[in-house]
Amino acid sequence: MMNFFYTYQSLFDHILVYALLAMSQYVVLRAGVFSLGTAGFAALGAYGCALLITKAGWPPFAAIVAGTVLGTVASALLAFPLSRLRGVFQAVATLALVQIVLSATQNWVSVTNGALGVNGIPKVAGTGVLLSVVVVVVLLLVAMGRYSVGRAMDVIREDETVAVSLGISVPYYHRIAFILSGLLAGLGGALQATSSYAITPGEFGFGMLVATLAMVVLGGRTSVWGALVGAAILTTLPELFRVFADYRNVVQGILLMLVIVYLPRGVADTVIAMLRDRRLRRRTVRLPADAVASGAASVGAAPVSSSIDAGVHA
Amino acid sequence: MLMQQLLNGVVVGSVYALFALGFTLLFGVNHIMNMAHGSVFMWGAFAGLYAVTMLDAPIYVALLIGMLAGGLVSVALDVFAFRPLRRRNAPEFSAIVSSIGADLVLLAIAQKVSNTAVMRFPFDAFPVVVYTVFGLRIQLLQLVIIGLVVAMVFGLVWYLYRTSFGQRIRSVAYSEQTSRLLGINPGPVNMQVFLISGALAGMAGVLIGLVFNSVHFAMGEPLLLRAFVIIILGGLGSIPGALIAGLAIGIVQTLAVAYVSSGVAEAVVFVALFIVILVKPTGLFGQSTAAMRIQRA
Amino acid sequence: MTATLVLEEVARHFGGVPAVDKVSLQVPAGQITGLIGPNGAGKTTVVNLITGLLHLSSGKVLLDGRDVSREEAPDLARAGVARTFQNIRLVADASVLENVVAGFHRHEKAGLWANLLGLPSARAEARQMNERAMALLERFGMAALAEHRSGGLSYGHQRRIEMMRALATEPRLLLLDEPVAGMNDAEAESLAGIFRSVAASGVAVLLIEHNMRFVMSLCSQLYVLASGRLIAEGLPEAVGRDPKVVEAYLGA
Repeated sequence: MMNFFYTYQSLFDHILVYALLAMSQYVVLRAGVFSLGTAGFAALGAYGCALLITKAGWPPFAAIVAGTVLGTVASALLAFPLSRLRGVFQAVATLALVQIVLSATQNWVSVTNGALGVNGIPKVAGTGVLLSVVVVVVLLLVAMGRYSVGRAMDVIREDETVAVSLGISVPYYHRIAFILSGLLAGLGGALQATSSYAITPGEFGFGMLVATLAMVVLGGRTSVWGALVGAAILTTLPELFRVFADYRNVVQGILLMLVIVYLPRGVADTVIAMLRDRRLRRRTVRLPADAVASGAASVGAAPVSSSIDAGVHA
Repeated sequence: MLMQQLLNGVVVGSVYALFALGFTLLFGVNHIMNMAHGSVFMWGAFAGLYAVTMLDAPIYVALLIGMLAGGLVSVALDVFAFRPLRRRNAPEFSAIVSSIGADLVLLAIAQKVSNTAVMRFPFDAFPVVVYTVFGLRIQLLQLVIIGLVVAMVFGLVWYLYRTSFGQRIRSVAYSEQTSRLLGINPGPVNMQVFLISGALAGMAGVLIGLVFNSVHFAMGEPLLLRAFVIIILGGLGSIPGALIAGLAIGIVQTLAVAYVSSGVAEAVVFVALFIVILVKPTGLFGQSTAAMRIQRA
Repeated sequence: MTATLVLEEVARHFGGVPAVDKVSLQVPAGQITGLIGPNGAGKTTVVNLITGLLHLSSGKVLLDGRDVSREEAPDLARAGVARTFQNIRLVADASVLENVVAGFHRHEKAGLWANLLGLPSARAEARQMNERAMALLERFGMAALAEHRSGGLSYGHQRRIEMMRALATEPRLLLLDEPVAGMNDAEAESLAGIFRSVAASGVAVLLIEHNMRFVMSLCSQLYVLASGRLIAEGLPEAVGRDPKVVEAYLGA
């Protein structure tokens, strides 16, 4: 019985850490920044934290903060050149970053212990700590999304030309998104290190990159809930269905392809939109006369149509 | 010896160029970065390998099979990963995500089938003949590779610039909208481009498998990253750029591995990528595409 | 008093081909100035040049007497230049209110940290902007549709949302790029009323249109563009009778 509880607790911890990493990926994608660098900053956070504890004897919580700061500073430095790039270029640049960090952790054996990784990290980040951190981050991101920063990001993501014509400084918001992403990834990495006793370079490579991307694609990139839902689903599925665990990569791959074609806004965002539509339809009994007249008279569809379309722009 | 390493670098670089050519062709025509191109390369290598080990095919047949496999996998990618998105007018982001997903699937299947083993071409797959010219050891294999790459490049350029098919490809690359207006159906054009780029990647796979004497499921990833460096350095969509940058990267890498260490060689390649992207994303030969940056044109 | 917007011999070439060639015009405050011409005349190019989305090849753009020829688009927007787009560009999945509120960006005062942390100043400002947006919606008769998904609404509604967003920026100069394309006369007329009131409030309005009739009743001054060049300018009735203009439209 206790085994049952303990197994699920470690799964829950895992979900929480990945929730942080997914939120790091979400922040950039929401702003239209095509960064795939979360895994790289997570590695910096994890190794920074782990090495400070095991080699420099730092107190664990200070090391966690230091790891987070490392991720933040790295992303801040890169944010400036990166904000001059767009789309594919940002993707490739951040991919190269992940590779560089991976290379460094694998080959700089004197510091990082190479492929053997760092062991003996005290487990200070228990479920309570992880949960509190995630809750605080979610609250902050909800706030961010609700006010001007989130709004500006939405406009930039959907149509950069419009953003520019409304006076929104695109590079500025790209930078903010990227730095936030680095902060969250660094924090996630540090917490991963302090919740699993050991870290190896391989944990922060292509696998993590794809996993966090898949979580946000699956869940949705316009709201925090998307990242949480995606993280929960993709972390739990392999546990519930052994077959998913064995064929994890194939499943993630097929999932990515299917979701991006048929449900490009992701599960959570689509559900949120559906609920909003249903609420509106129930509330809208009659529209005011002139709105109906002008609506019916002009070219185009009926005033309110379903928002469940996999398309992008109107 | 320096000349020896330079020769090795040229050979490796020319195969990199071949791979990058297919990649840059895809980008030039479809404006997508096919993240699964490395797996196309890898499947081509495996196809060639199994042709030799299971069908006892001579090496030139294996090469053709590798090209065929690469072309088919590439076309399959188009059908399953990219076409549905084109139909829905999906943004660039979706295409990249979809190709990452497809890449995962191709990798996983290859891993399962090959049991994660590192395989090699049988020792006698290619005759081991070495010429000694002015103190340089030149393998027949190296000469053949260079010859093949040169032939392929000429073939591609001839196809693109001297046939009506090629003309249509160039037209769609310039502007899909205009091409449609001119009555050119982009569907077959896209398929040709995927086929050609896949065939080139497949051939590159077999050749690299022979040169480095190893074929394994993860061999495509490092190559894809090098292809990024190459086409960004040489300019997106530029053929001469891909060639020159490919050779350059091959030489730099070979020299770095020979004189410093392989770890450093990796790092050098990626730092170069970083610097090029940040300083001049359009590369040495490419023109800036307005689509890439919403700044004043 | 100098006009709000002055173009002096503005030109833009694309590889030797002049898309816009030595165009000079003035858009004074408080009036609606029209820029008309057949399709492909270069009208939208002129708008893109004014708003900073395209570099000028030569010439000057003056905003309230200040040379803004070299300024970037966000700076021009923040200086009070607003525009609507020929093909509707809204955030389809966002609500009508959200789309309009986006227009208030340049007036935001609450700092970055206040917004990141959700401090009271940010919340108060958000509330204020929502109220002002609702006022705009009422003015345009769309208050009941505030929460609806913009992408699902009719074409006429979407055009109004674009308009509201542009007005939310409280511009000094408003560029309307074919705002009533595809609308019937009744709808176009109701929008015309709004344009008149905007101009009356002191804004300089440049109306780019294709539809001669709509423009006649609305504009105090007309400029006619054909193949990138100005072929006529003046009072609407005079311009309407100008044989060069008639030929440009018939010949197009």
